[in-house]
Amino acid sequence: MVVENIGPALANLADPFVIFLMTAGVLLGIIMGSIPGMTATMTIAVLLSFTFTMDPAHGMMLLLGIYGGAVYSGSIPAILIRTPGTPSAAATLFDGHPLSKKGEAGRAIKASTVASFVGGVISVLALMFFSPVIAGAALEFRSPEFFALAVFGLTIIASVSGDSITKGMVSGLLGMLVATVGIDPITGFHRYTFDMAKLLTGVEFIAVMIGLFGIAEGLRKYSQGIDDDTDEADQEMSGVLPSGSDLKSIMPVSVGSGVLGAFIGSIPGAGGDIAAFITYNEATRWLKDTVPAFGDGNIRGVAAAESGNNASTGGALIPTLTLGIPGDSVSAILIGALMVHDINPGPGLYQDEPELLYTIFVGFLVIYILILIFGLLGANYWARLINIPSSHIWPVILVLCVIGSIALRGNVFDAWVMLGAGLLGYAMRLRGYPLAPMVLGLILAPIAEVNLRRSLVLSGGSLDIFYTSPIALLVLLLSAAAITVPAVRSVRG
Amino acid sequence: MIKQKVADTIDQLGPSSLRSNPLAVVFVLLAVTVIFSASQFPDDGQVGPGFFPILVSVGIVVFSFADILTETESDLEISEYSFRPPAIVLGLLVAYLLVMPVTGFLVGTMLYMPAILYYSGIKSKPLMAGLSVGLPVLLFYIFARVFLIRLPEGIIPISRLLPRLPLVVIPGWL
Repeated sequence: MVVENIGPALANLADPFVIFLMTAGVLLGIIMGSIPGMTATMTIAVLLSFTFTMDPAHGMMLLLGIYGGAVYSGSIPAILIRTPGTPSAAATLFDGHPLSKKGEAGRAIKASTVASFVGGVISVLALMFFSPVIAGAALEFRSPEFFALAVFGLTIIASVSGDSITKGMVSGLLGMLVATVGIDPITGFHRYTFDMAKLLTGVEFIAVMIGLFGIAEGLRKYSQGIDDDTDEADQEMSGVLPSGSDLKSIMPVSVGSGVLGAFIGSIPGAGGDIAAFITYNEATRWLKDTVPAFGDGNIRGVAAAESGNNASTGGALIPTLTLGIPGDSVSAILIGALMVHDINPGPGLYQDEPELLYTIFVGFLVIYILILIFGLLGANYWARLINIPSSHIWPVILVLCVIGSIALRGNVFDAWVMLGAGLLGYAMRLRGYPLAPMVLGLILAPIAEVNLRRSLVLSGGSLDIFYTSPIALLVLLLSAAAITVPAVRSVRG
Repeated sequence: MIKQKVADTIDQLGPSSLRSNPLAVVFVLLAVTVIFSASQFPDDGQVGPGFFPILVSVGIVVFSFADILTETESDLEISEYSFRPPAIVLGLLVAYLLVMPVTGFLVGTMLYMPAILYYSGIKSKPLMAGLSVGLPVLLFYIFARVFLIRLPEGIIPISRLLPRLPLVVIPGWL
C-alpha cells in the first residue's frame, strides 16, 4: 500500500510550483519562528487564506513548510537571546543559551538544525507507516467510538494546555457551543442563526481561529508594549556543517528523542512544547555523567529538545489524518484548511484520497530536507531576524487577519466574526484561559454531536451503547482520568 | 465537618470571588441563556436539536463553578497589562471594518495602515508610505487578481483602475 502510492506522490511533488510552495513555506516558517512571539500556529492561521483557491495538496505543502520551519527556527532565539521564538523551543534554551554564552551559538544552532531534521524525518516515517494501520482499525469504528474519541480529544487538551483544567474545559466547551450555531446537521432546525443568512452554515471557524491566534495575540502584544525590543543577537557563525564529533554525539539522542517525540505528538493535545520538555527530561535521565552537565551547555540537551519538538509535528498529524481528531492547535487549523476543500479528515481519507495523503507524507519529508539545507546555509541570516522589531510586523499581521477572513467567503461579515473571536480570545487569555482547547472544541463539536445523537437513536435513548463497546468505554474512561487525575493531584498538592 | 465545607463553598461563591472572576460569571450566564432557549427547540424525544447545546452548556456551568471555587489570584497575568493600547488597536480595527464597505479593501487598508503604523511607533516616513501603499496593492493583486477572490470594492471602485496582470496560468492553481 505504502510503496504503490509513493510514485504518484513524487510525480505531484516534481511540479516546479509545488517546489516553490514548499520552499516558500519553509522560508516563511523559519523567518516567523526566528522572531520571538511569532508562533507556528499564528503564522499558519494568518496565512491560511493564501491556500483557499489552491489544489488541497499544494496548499498543504505551503502550510506544512511553515509548520516545520517555524518549529525548527524557534530554537534560534532560544539559543541566542534566551527567548524561545515559539513555545515549543522553551526546552532548547536550557542548554542552548549556556552554549551561546560560551561563544558557541553556531555549534548549538547547527546541532539544533540536524536534530530537528532527524526528529522530523522519524516522525514523518512514523506517520507514513503507522497511520494507515490506525485508519484501517478506525474503519471499524461506529458512532459510540467516534463520540468517545471526540470527548477524549477535548479532555486531554484541556488537561495539558494551560495551568487550569477547569479553564481548559470551559474553553473547549465554549468552542463546541460556538460550533452549534447554524443548521442542525440531523433535523435541519436553525439554531442561533438570528435570521441571518450568513449564519445558516454556522460560524466560519477559520475566521474564529484567525481571531483567536492572530488578533488576540496581537492585542496581547500591544498591551505588553509593542516596542520592547529584545536583546541584540550579535554572534557570528563560521562554517556550514556541524563537526564530526558533534554529529556523533548528538545522533543517538536525536534518534531516541525523535521516536519519543513522535509518540507524544500523536497524543491529541500534546504539541511540540510538551514533547520537547519530555524528550529533554528523558535525555537527562538516560545520559548520566555527561561533560558538561545538562544545563551547562551540553550539545546533546539541545539535540534532545529540538528533535523532540520537530518529531511532534509528524506525530500530531497521525490522529488528525486517521481519526479527524487534531493532535495540536496547528493540526486543528490544517483540518480547517482541508475542510475548505470539502475534504473531511478521518479513516475514510485513506480510501477516498490516497494520493493526497501520500503527497502530504512524501512532501513533509522533502520539507524536512529543505529545512536542513536552509537551516545550515542560512543560520547566520536567520539569527539576525531576531532583531526585527515587532512594531514592524504586527500592523502587517493585523491586515493579514482581516483579508484572510474576508477571503473565506468574500464578505466583511466574517471579518467581524474574526474580530469578535479575537476580543473574546484576548479577554480569555488575560483571565488565564488557554485558547487551544477552544479551537479543538470547534473542530470536535460536529463529530461529538452527530455521533452522540446517532448512538442514542441506535440505542433507543439508552446509555448502554457506550459501555457495551469496549473501545468506547476504554476511551471514555481515559477521558475521565485525563480530567480527574490532575485535579485530584492539584487538590492534594 | 461536611456542614463546614458546604458553608465554606458558599462563602467562596460570594460576591468578591465572583467579581474576581467576571469572565466565568459571563460564561455561566451565557450557558444558562442557552439552556433556557435550547429547551424551547422542537424536540423529537431525547435527542433533538436542543440536546447538544444544553449538554455543552451544563458542562460550561459545572466547570465555571469549579473554576470560581479553585481559582487563586496568583494564577492571573492580568497585572502585567495596560488596557489602553489594545483598546486603541481594537478601535482602529473596528473603524477599518466599518469604513470598508464605503472605501473598499484597497483604500480602506491604505487609510488604516498609516494609523496603526504610527501608533506602533514607526516614525520613518518612507517606511510608513511604502507599507501603507505597497501592502494593500500587493495583497489586492494576490487575492483579487491571482486568487480571483472578490474583495470589497467600496462605493467608488478605485481598485478597478489598477492595471491587470498579464495572464499567466500556473498549473494546479485555480
